Amino acid sequence: MVKTVSSENLNSLLYIDEIPSNEHIVVKGGETLKINFAIFNSSIEGKIDIDVEEGGLVEGAFADFSPNAGKFVINVNLNGFGASCNWHLASLAHKDEKKVFETSVMHNSEGTNALMSNYGIARDSGNLTFSGTSHIKHGSVNANTRQDAKIIVFDKDSDGKAMPILRIDDNDVQASHAAVVGRLNEQHLFYLESRGISEDDAKRIIALGYLKPIEEFFADEEVLKMIDSAIEGGI
Amino acid sequence: MATLIIKNLHASVKGKEILKGVNLELKEGETLALLGPNGHGKSTLLAAIMGNPAFEVTEGEIYLDGEDVLAMTPDLRSKAGIFLGMQYPAEIPGLNSADFLKSAMNAHREKPMSLFTFYKSLQDAYAEIGIPFEMSKRNLNEGFSGGEKKRNEILQMKLLAPKFAMLDEIDSGLDVDALQVVASAIRKEQERGAGFLVISHYARLYGLINPTRAAVLVNGRIAVEGGPELIEKIDKNGYEWIKTELGIDIEKETDSPMNKVSIGACATKVKINGKDSK
Repeated sequence: MVKTVSSENLNSLLYIDEIPSNEHIVVKGGETLKINFAIFNSSIEGKIDIDVEEGGLVEGAFADFSPNAGKFVINVNLNGFGASCNWHLASLAHKDEKKVFETSVMHNSEGTNALMSNYGIARDSGNLTFSGTSHIKHGSVNANTRQDAKIIVFDKDSDGKAMPILRIDDNDVQASHAAVVGRLNEQHLFYLESRGISEDDAKRIIALGYLKPIEEFFADEEVLKMIDSAIEGGI
Repeated sequence: MATLIIKNLHASVKGKEILKGVNLELKEGETLALLGPNGHGKSTLLAAIMGNPAFEVTEGEIYLDGEDVLAMTPDLRSKAGIFLGMQYPAEIPGLNSADFLKSAMNAHREKPMSLFTFYKSLQDAYAEIGIPFEMSKRNLNEGFSGGEKKRNEILQMKLLAPKFAMLDEIDSGLDVDALQVVASAIRKEQERGAGFLVISHYARLYGLINPTRAAVLVNGRIAVEGGPELIEKIDKNGYEWIKTELGIDIEKETDSPMNKVSIGACATKVKINGKDSK
């Protein structure tokens, strides 16, 4: 199901249990595209290319609770001066699922900005991979890009990989990345337990911290309830 | 009156014995200043009492009102009335401070508090500790300055109202005004009757909270116990007199196994199922 809302300078797309297999979208100069995905029962399989013109903005968010394996690819091309992209993903891989998210952004112009932020939990033999390239091409001075990828692996049968890549072809740019993959931090658990919180509740609270923040990017009340219920059921 | 008893406690970190037979007793209402050179086991003692899994207790006993503390998980030790204000509080990504405090406070109660009672307690505590209430919306300790983290520890102590509060260098990172606020909060808990086990390297904090006793931990054991005059003596003369007066050689600080961890902000380090990869 796709919910769309359009006004003068804002186009909003909300995909619920549906992802286009090969979509190409253009965000015109000065316009904003809000593109959100909430997947509960279908696969994450799909690919989207987005071209952003001068001063355009893409705000994307993906709440993934799919019970299936799959690969999702998003490529954002920031083609005009000041074009921007903010992307946030929260994914739960469990029950033998193997999921791959490839989130890439190409800075093709001056003063372009991008934040690609991916958070995930792998548990119950789940397998999660975050990859993606932030590429600042020659001539894109004053570009600013960041790739965040964080995965918690809950048990020994699960696995996670985070491989954010930065490619920088010009000077006078800002680029950074952070990648963390690891078991639940023993000292984080101890801190919470030392305040009277049981180990199970502490694990749940830490997992919530990885998944719950995605809710702030969703406005649809019905979908928010579904995300809440998927988080509670998933952890 | 509640009593915390530590008998012949031995504890190790990664196979290296740090505590080599600590004996100590603390009653509710007492404030014990725990002194000693760096690397001799003060923080290890507090962490072992709280049940930090990084420290293995290899021998000895700890009792709180006759109950076996070592048999309790850290959450049960907290519920039994033990609190540890940490030297390096953990930063927990994505965990809202107010949500955390609500979980911690409710864990200490039979029935969950009403939202009104919770927010009233929270607002009062934030005001007393001098932290802007807005900070309750931030992630737990994430991006907090050193002083903010220490105030946040004291805030939690106040909200959880323990029988025994252990404070590990709670004064480090605090400016003069913040130190006064923290000391004032400690005095209020003292008036309530809480017992304190306080580690500090500076007489200034002790001067503000008036310990009733002092103990010096050297080479993993309590070398000497006494009244608050011990604090002044160490502040003036250091620890050398322990060797001349008591004949105890003070072992030099060696590299702690706990200090050999370095995590790069932008490095990918994966260690899962015993395999390393980068």
